[in-house]
This record gives sequence, C-alpha cells and structure tokens, in this order.
Amino acid sequence: MNAVRIAWRVTRLNFRAQLEYRTEFLLMIAIGAIWQVSVIVFATVLLTRFTGMGGWDSSEVLLIPATRMLAHGLFVLFLGRVHGSGRQIQEGRIDIYLTRPMPVHRQLQLEFFPTNAIGDLTVAVGLMAGALSRSQLDWTPGRISYLVAAVIGGMFLEAALFTAVASAGLRYPAADYWSRWLEELLGTFGSYPLNVLPKAVGGLLTYGLPLAFVAYFPAAVLTGHGHDTGVPYWLAALSPLVGVAAYLGSRVLWRWSLRHYAGIGG
Amino acid sequence: MPGSIEVRGLSRTFHTTVRRPGLAGTLRSLVNPERVAKHAVSDITFDVAPGELLALLGPNGAGKSTTIKMLTGILTPTSGEARVAGVVPYQERERNARNIGAVFGQRTQLWWDLPVRESFSILRDIYEVPKAEHAARLAEFDAILELSTFWDTRVRHLSLGQRVRCDLAAALLHDPPVVFLDEPTIGMDVVVKEQVREFLRHQVEERGRTVLLTTHDMTEVERLAERVVLINHGRLVLDGSLDEIRRKFGSTWQVRATFADAHAEVEPLPGIAVLRKDGPQVVFGPDGPDAPTVHQALKAVIERYEVTGVAIDEADLEDVMRAAYVHAEAV
Amino acid sequence: MAVLHAWRAARVTPLGELHAPPRMTAVLVRLVVQVILVASLWHGLYDRTGTTAGLSEGQAVTYAVLAVLASRLRELDQYAGRDTVLQHMHFGTIVYWYLRPLPPQRYHALRALGEQVYGFAWALGGYLVCLAAGVVDPPKSAAVAGVFTLSLLLGQVVLYNVMLLLDQLCFWTVRNNAAMLILIFAQNLLSGVYAPLWFFPDWFITLSGFLPFQATLSVPLSIYIGRIPLSDAGGQLAIQAGWAVALTLFTRFLWRRAARRVISQGG
Repeated sequence: MNAVRIAWRVTRLNFRAQLEYRTEFLLMIAIGAIWQVSVIVFATVLLTRFTGMGGWDSSEVLLIPATRMLAHGLFVLFLGRVHGSGRQIQEGRIDIYLTRPMPVHRQLQLEFFPTNAIGDLTVAVGLMAGALSRSQLDWTPGRISYLVAAVIGGMFLEAALFTAVASAGLRYPAADYWSRWLEELLGTFGSYPLNVLPKAVGGLLTYGLPLAFVAYFPAAVLTGHGHDTGVPYWLAALSPLVGVAAYLGSRVLWRWSLRHYAGIGG
Repeated sequence: MPGSIEVRGLSRTFHTTVRRPGLAGTLRSLVNPERVAKHAVSDITFDVAPGELLALLGPNGAGKSTTIKMLTGILTPTSGEARVAGVVPYQERERNARNIGAVFGQRTQLWWDLPVRESFSILRDIYEVPKAEHAARLAEFDAILELSTFWDTRVRHLSLGQRVRCDLAAALLHDPPVVFLDEPTIGMDVVVKEQVREFLRHQVEERGRTVLLTTHDMTEVERLAERVVLINHGRLVLDGSLDEIRRKFGSTWQVRATFADAHAEVEPLPGIAVLRKDGPQVVFGPDGPDAPTVHQALKAVIERYEVTGVAIDEADLEDVMRAAYVHAEAV
Repeated sequence: MAVLHAWRAARVTPLGELHAPPRMTAVLVRLVVQVILVASLWHGLYDRTGTTAGLSEGQAVTYAVLAVLASRLRELDQYAGRDTVLQHMHFGTIVYWYLRPLPPQRYHALRALGEQVYGFAWALGGYLVCLAAGVVDPPKSAAVAGVFTLSLLLGQVVLYNVMLLLDQLCFWTVRNNAAMLILIFAQNLLSGVYAPLWFFPDWFITLSGFLPFQATLSVPLSIYIGRIPLSDAGGQLAIQAGWAVALTLFTRFLWRRAARRVISQGG
C-alpha cells in the first residue's frame, strides 16, 4: 500500500513538473493527439480506398485501430517509460535506481509524467466511440467485457514487447535502436486485418512479433471472423490472457537482466 | 606576442529572466519579464607570459569557466578586452582556434563511436597538420601519456582517465602555443593525475607552451604553477606567486617552543602573537596582516628567547586557499 | 588540405558503423524485414481493388518499397555516435565545434553528406536486390530514370535542410523536444513515408503542397512510378529547387543566430 502511495505522490509531482512548462505541456498533448489522428487518417484513408479488406466490413476493420490505439494510450500512460529507457540506461540512471529501495522498473516508470498520453487517450477514446457507433454488432455485456479485457491485454502486450527490448538494452545499449523499429511496426501493422498478408508474414506477426494479439485477434473474435485468422480459435480468443502472460514473462526477463546488469562503461 | 595572454578589464554580464511563482506570476512574467543581471566576471586584468603556466583559482561559480570561454572565443565579453597570442579571440574565432588548444573537464571532443586514433586523424586534417609532424607529436605524447595501449579502442569504451589523456593529446596535436585547461584532472586517480602533470610540465618547460589552468587540486597547483590568479564573485582577488599567497593568507602557522625557563616572561614580538602558554610550552602564531613567514618567526623566537626545543606547524596549500576563499568572501 | 578534412568528417558515420558490426546487421535485418512486410501489406491491400487514387498495385508496391529504402538515406544512428546537436548541447561539448578552425555549419554539412552517401549505398544495394527479385518495377524509360535521379538529389538537399532545422532547433530548446517531435512527425507523414500522399483526401494533398516535406520523398518517388508524368515533372522540380534554395538560406541565417546564441550564452 505504501508503494502505491509513493507512486501516486511521485506521479503527482511529475505532473506538476510537466505543468511548469506550459507550452511544452500543451504541445505534448497536441503531439499525442496529432500522432493518433494521423493513424486515424491513415486507417480511414485505407478503409475507404480498399473496401472489403480481408473480407472484413469497414466498420469491423475500424474496431482494430480503435482497440490498438486505446491499448497504446493506456500503455503510454501507465507503462510507457520502458520505451526510451535506452537513454536512461546510457546516462547511468539505472545505477542510481539500483541504490534506492524501490524496484528499478517502477522507478523507471516514475521518471516523468507522460503528458502526450493525455492526447493519445483523448483521440483513442474518440475513435473507439466512433467505431462502436458504426458497429452493427450487438454489444452485450459479454462482448463489452471482452473488449475491455482485450484493451487491457493489448496494453500489457505492448508493454511486454518494450520491456523485452529494455531488458536487452541493459546488456546492449544499442538495443534502443530496436525499440524505435518496434514502435514503427506496431503503428504500421497493428491496424489491419492481418489475413490480407501472406500466411508466412501473418505467422511472423503472430508468433515472431506477436502484435496480432493486440487488436487483430480480439477484433476478429468480436466480429465473428475468429475462425479464419490462421490460428486456432481458442488461441485468438485468449488474446487478453496472452498479453498478461507475455507481460509477466517480460518482467521475469527484466529481473534476470537486471541481475546480470554490468553497468555502462565510460 | 606569440603565446602570451593579455586580459584588460574583462567583464561579462548575463541576463536572466526570473520566473514568478503561480499562474498569475507566469502570465505577468510573460508580459513584463523581470530581468536580472548576473556579473559573472567583472573587470579582470592579468597577463600570462609566453611559456608560463598560470593557475586560475577560485571557488565554484567564481567566474573561472566564463573567463576561459572568453579567452577561447566562445563567449564575447560585455566589456574589456583580451588578446591571446596577439589575436582577439571573440573577434577572430577561427584564427584564434589555430593558436589554442582546450580541454573542458570531463567533456570530450573525441568522436564517441570511433577509435581514438581516428579522432586524432580527423583533428589532424581539420587543423591541417602535416602527416610526419602529426606522427612525431603523437609519438612524443604517447611516450608520457601511454596512449598507444588504448588508442585503437572506441572512445565509448575508454575509462575516464584514458579519455582525458586522449583529450589532452587531441587538444595539443596541432602544436598550439596557448593551452586552456578547465579542471582537466577532475575525478582522476593519483597515478593518472601524476602522468598528466608530468605531461603538462613537459609541454611548458620543453615546448614552451603557455598554459592557463583551472583546478581545485592544490597539489597540482603546488607542483605545476609558479603563479596563480585568484578570482571570486567574478573579481580578481589576487595575482601573484604561490609564496605571496602563502604570505597573505597562509599565516596560520604555529611555532611551538619549549622554554628553558618555565617562568620566563613572554612578550609578543612584532607580528607574532602568543597564542598559549602552559608552563615551559609556548605557542606563537601570526598577528596582523604583516606577520612574518614561519621561518622568519622561528628565527625571531630563537633569537629572542632561550628555548630547548621548537616545532612548527605550517598550513598546507589547501588551508591557505580556504583562508583565501573565506577572506575573498568577506571582501 | 580542405579536401582532406572534408573526407575525414564525411567518413565519420560510415567508419563508426563499420566499427559496430552488430549495428550493420541490425540495419540489414530491419531493411529486409521491413521491405517484405511493406510489400506484402500493399499486395494484400490491393487484393480486391484495382487501380485506386491513380495508383495500380505495381505502382503502389514500388512506391512503398522505395520509401522504405529511401528512409535509410538519413535514418542513421548518428545518435549512437553522440554527434547530434541535441547531445552536444546536453553534454556541453558543443563548445568544441566553436573551438576549431572549421566552421560548425561546414562540419555539420560534411557529416551529413557522408551519412547520406553511406545511406545511399544501402538504399542502392537494396534497390538492386529488389529490382532483381521483381519486388519493384524498373522505371518506365531512361528519361524517367534521369528526371527521378535529379529529383531525388534535390529532395536530398531539402531533406538535409529539414533535418538541419531539427538540429538547429536544439540550440534554443534543449529541454523542449515537443516541437522537434512535431517536425519529425510532419516529415514522416507529409513526405509520404507512411503511405503515398495520393491516398489522402484532397484537402490533405493541397495542404502538403504548401509545405516542403513532400519535396523530399513524395515527388521523386511519384516521378519514378509515373504518377507524376514527365510533362508535369518540370514544375515539380522547380518547386523542389525553390524549397532547396529557400531552406538553405533560412538554415544559413539560423546558423548565424545559433553562433550568436552560443557566443552570448557560452554553450
């Protein structure tokens, strides 16, 4: 309970610190929003240009970017500091964290308040509202809870991927390079029905870099496309759990990497 | 004059805006910003002769770095004038750049991703140093700094001591008559420090370079500098030899004498005070600004009184500087 | 001698990369995977659609793959080399740029030139492999290839100046990276890296027509795939050249301001 209180207090201080620079604060919110809007423009452009993508109705496709972006917004808000941890590692911040009586991962998360998450989330909520209003599905409590679970699972999955890269970064500072690519891949390929891709490529994005579990599989399950995703139905349906499991696994990896952390020379 | 530094009434004022607290304050600062002037350096005058090593001393924030930046041409003074090897650095930055070498503490000018030797090559071409000359100078530096053991390593993998040695070499590769070193040995171990000192001494004595050095390491000052300039709050407090500084601020010596006659009458001597008397044990100390040095005092005490034993405690340079800084603070 | 220091400064990036083989492997892996993913995505998208926005499947795939390759030109790990203005401001090492008898702007330009040439080698290699594998279509004619090359060159000048603007911004806003993020983002979106600008709504295309970003990538690639016919290419080249000149003048002005700022603040 004490940990929660400290985390809350530090977050409040961080938030106040961000408010100190008002222009920066507003700009960061704007950036989060612009970023997401661009993904929306991109997605809707493609939706109108390429109707019937992968056999999906365009209102169904819209559910994929909506889920992915809401998950992404939550990730940025709660766990986003693992992305870009490379800089903190290279500047020796980890050494400082290690001397304090608080888990390093949490200190990393509490480094600053992610102002851009406000913009991210605002737009993502808007997109989700749009997607739901255009959806012809019957939103039963079951469907709604599954969607909520999917968003949370998606957040954890994204966090798991970035935590894995951050773990590698503890050993090889150059791993930061991969986190930028990861972000690009998630942004580019996270918003489509992946069955438009060849089987091998779809498989890579399922089992190699599991971004299919973030939004594509849950949306497929919700819209009744769950049986032609290329993976067993039960696996697609378990996407939220896959996210949680991946995150737990990545934290184990992080702890292991931290134990083998040898410091940054020079 | 090649290699000389002349500083005349050099001043530098920085203007900063003060942030008022609160939302209303922020808005007011936006409309009517409150500007505050900070006099980092005010009216400093001194000279450094060619081939001389001068230590520029002063507490943190005294204006040392600002002075060095003006002399290297990075910063323009608000008023006053400086000439380095005959060039006004902030007016002819590039011409000045060829005459000087500089190391700013732990900040490295080497290329992070490349082996050190590549950085040396880049600098060689930037400063247009002939190849043979470059090789010869590198060999000379290597002899003292032992660079060849790690100069094929990439900079990011060097230890601090290795990196600073490389930076020193990098700053001197183009044979500059004047060298500026802003706390070059900060954070280094004693062995490396000694190596760097030897290198600097060699560069001053054998190569005739003029060196302006700032440091907080008094051992370094004692080993290297004959002359020091002391500044505080941007003002020049003292310009003189180490002995002069000792005389002025280092009068914290004590002479402990054992008198042959425990009941002898003890009177203060000119400039010498009696600090304690305990039976035959008498402790003398300096008195007033014209107090003699410890050696003069010792002589005076022995001549005046019949003593059976004496011991002296002399303040080391650290103490002297502490006294000097405190004194400067009070001025 | 000037040639020598130019050569030295220009080869810093390639040399740094050569000394870090894992980084080169990473670039290779990323390039291969990204090309495969992008090509299969666009093939997949065109699965049920014929020509849209004036682009056929072949044109769209060629555009997208070339965009991936072209992004290698200047997407280098200069950051890893700690030689960006941002890092020099952060670590206080920017002073050394002003301590050498080489003007900072020339040093910066030489570094970027080396970087762009090195990146070009990657892009060209990737292009030849893709061409041989049939992933991208060859240019329609020698004339198209020629105009494309010219447009690409102009685009690189504009790109250099846009990137330089980002760097120069750091002289004023070390802390404030929000503005930088916006510029980076605008560069990526409006140059057509994410998707050909032709797919976007008309208002978007009009808007980007007033900005320099499309001159960096969208214009040369559109010429290559024939979406901009040779008859219209002259006007586009003129606009590119106009941006190149205007931005060069502006960045030169900013260099002077930056120098004045360093000189008044001390770096």
